[in-house]
Amino acid sequence: MSIQILRIAALLYAAAAAGYVLYFARPRHARAAAFGFWALAAAFGVHAVAIGVGCGEFGGAEFFSFRGGLVLLVWLLAGAFLLLQRFYRLPSLGAFVTPFTLAVLLPALFGDPTHPEIAPEAIRQPTLALHIVAAFLGVALFAIAFGTALMYLLQEREVKGKRFGALFSRLPSLDALDRMVERLVRMGFVVYTVALVAGTITATAVWKSAWSWDPKQILSLAIWILYGAMVQLRHSGWHGRRYAFLTLLGFTLVAGSMVSLRAVPGVTRHSGDYGMQAPGGDAR
Amino acid sequence: MRLEDVFLVGLSHKSAPIEVRERVALSGDALKEALGELRRADGVKEALVVSTCNRVEVYVQAGAEDPARRFFTARAAEAGDHLYAKEGVEAIRHLFRVSASLDSMVVGEQQILGQVKEAYGIASAAEAAGAFFSRLCNRAFATAKRVRTETEIGRGATSMSQVAVELVRKIFDDLKGRSILLAGAGKMGCLSAKALAALGADRILVTNRSPERGLALAHQVGGTFREWPELPRLLVEADVVIVSTGAPTYVLGRELVEEAMRARRHRSLCLIDLSVPRNVDPAAGELSDVYAYDVDDMEKVVQSTQEARRGEALRAEAIVEAEVMAFAKERETRAALPVLAQLRRHAELIARAEVEKTLSQVGPKLDDKGRRSVESMALAIVNKLLHRPTARLKEAASSGDGSLAGAAAELFGIENETQGAPAGREAAPREEPGVSADRG
Repeated sequence: MSIQILRIAALLYAAAAAGYVLYFARPRHARAAAFGFWALAAAFGVHAVAIGVGCGEFGGAEFFSFRGGLVLLVWLLAGAFLLLQRFYRLPSLGAFVTPFTLAVLLPALFGDPTHPEIAPEAIRQPTLALHIVAAFLGVALFAIAFGTALMYLLQEREVKGKRFGALFSRLPSLDALDRMVERLVRMGFVVYTVALVAGTITATAVWKSAWSWDPKQILSLAIWILYGAMVQLRHSGWHGRRYAFLTLLGFTLVAGSMVSLRAVPGVTRHSGDYGMQAPGGDAR
Repeated sequence: MRLEDVFLVGLSHKSAPIEVRERVALSGDALKEALGELRRADGVKEALVVSTCNRVEVYVQAGAEDPARRFFTARAAEAGDHLYAKEGVEAIRHLFRVSASLDSMVVGEQQILGQVKEAYGIASAAEAAGAFFSRLCNRAFATAKRVRTETEIGRGATSMSQVAVELVRKIFDDLKGRSILLAGAGKMGCLSAKALAALGADRILVTNRSPERGLALAHQVGGTFREWPELPRLLVEADVVIVSTGAPTYVLGRELVEEAMRARRHRSLCLIDLSVPRNVDPAAGELSDVYAYDVDDMEKVVQSTQEARRGEALRAEAIVEAEVMAFAKERETRAALPVLAQLRRHAELIARAEVEKTLSQVGPKLDDKGRRSVESMALAIVNKLLHRPTARLKEAASSGDGSLAGAAAELFGIENETQGAPAGREAAPREEPGVSADRG
């Protein structure tokens, strides 16, 4: 049931992406951007329903799988982008973000939602839900920062290289992009910090130890330190091109860790070993 | 015999040098007077004069173009060699193209539409432009608006100062909380500084080797003057630097800029060099967070705008053509309507006269019902007879064929009345009440 609703949401995401891309290609059609915004808002709403129905069907278990993670990530990404558009209008960013959401969502549309068996008491941990949602929201913000940094580098190449073509006229100003990257990195860092704290509390309760040299823990800490350093560097005057490269690097690390930890089965306790009774060190 | 048509006689930057244009250009009261003169001329129903620095064009709704031509030859005899004349749809198309800025020196520039609107306003106030020019001009303005919104013909920068504004906007978005430094007293620099000030700069700093000129310049652009030796410090304060000195060498060398960038903690700096020979070392532009442009770079932007506009102009021409055709068709439909009305009236007059004649002879023998039958029979014959010609005429008119209307007028001997119908009445083509109800 939830997958059917999700497919409707995917159609709306596709419509939003089409609107934003059309706006980018033909900036005269300001209505295309407005259409993209409302299509995305509709997609976000339908997606929320799909998640709600999915929770009813599987009791939240689906969000422990890779597929469920993508579904949640896309939803948070769309929500974050909608909020950003509301406060800082930068519609050309939509042409970079919405196709990305669609691409991430596509693999989740096919195949049945599988859900690993999880001890129900693990799910009832309130900090666990917070950990998961905050972690994905952080990743979503880093993803938008990645897109914005990419736009910055493209525009910098045009402006500095004196290429006054189509990209030059369509992309926003360097200053607007740079400030947006900064904002997103800062917000993402705060949210990611919340995720790590909630995760640590959960680990203490479930695994009986806050730190267990789990590869996911190590990588997450590395990511947190990197973004923390970026927030700090900003205060000491780092900006522009160097900052954009750091932002690209940060998200590459985030995406790389997400994929690689999933690719190697059993390397991390995050992939299914949530049982309180699970024997220590026995990653399945 | 033809209906009166719209004629255009004019000259523009394409056909005449400025010496001729300035002798025939008119404004204010002289223009109103000229309009009155045109209006009084023989056979002229309506007149419109568009007079700008690049063109003087006289449009008349008349039997011939002569009055419009006289407008020019009476003012400057030599103007006759530079005139172009157009008639009918050609003249309409010309006005549409002029309004849409397709005939301008800088294609796509914004001013011309306002100038044509003003010209129409004056002609209308002087009662030289009536119903026909009202429809024509409104259609031309609507077309110009369509062109502006549906194509990108007005996009891009066409002058150095516009280019400077566009570049700065792509770097800083706006200049709120930032400063502009104008170094040197070149004219282009002054214009660019003024244009950039519109982006909301907090301050404009001005520096110049000679303090007298510098002070005058600061007054002119609304900035504050600083002594020339302060230049290194000014580079730290300002975010956009416009350099246009007459110096034969680099005024801003790489080392100077590098030092300034360190002191700025690498806040972005935009250097616009409007001098030839160049005043900013090109090597300075290679530094990170420095964006340097010289005259050639800016000229490139102007050229690419012009190229893009040429492409957009093709799309604009298509829009104009469609609108001209639509307008011309509408005009012919309107032209046919008076013929129809005349034809009806003509036939009904005959019928009534015959009815009266008949009734005066046999009337006494008939009761009221009988009289009414005779009357309605006469009108029914008229209606039946005219039913098909009416349909045909309407059809021909809406398909753009005006010749059938002329033929009908001639065939029924009503051409004199038709031609005499003033343009003003044409504006509200109303069929007679008895005509509109088609009882055939």
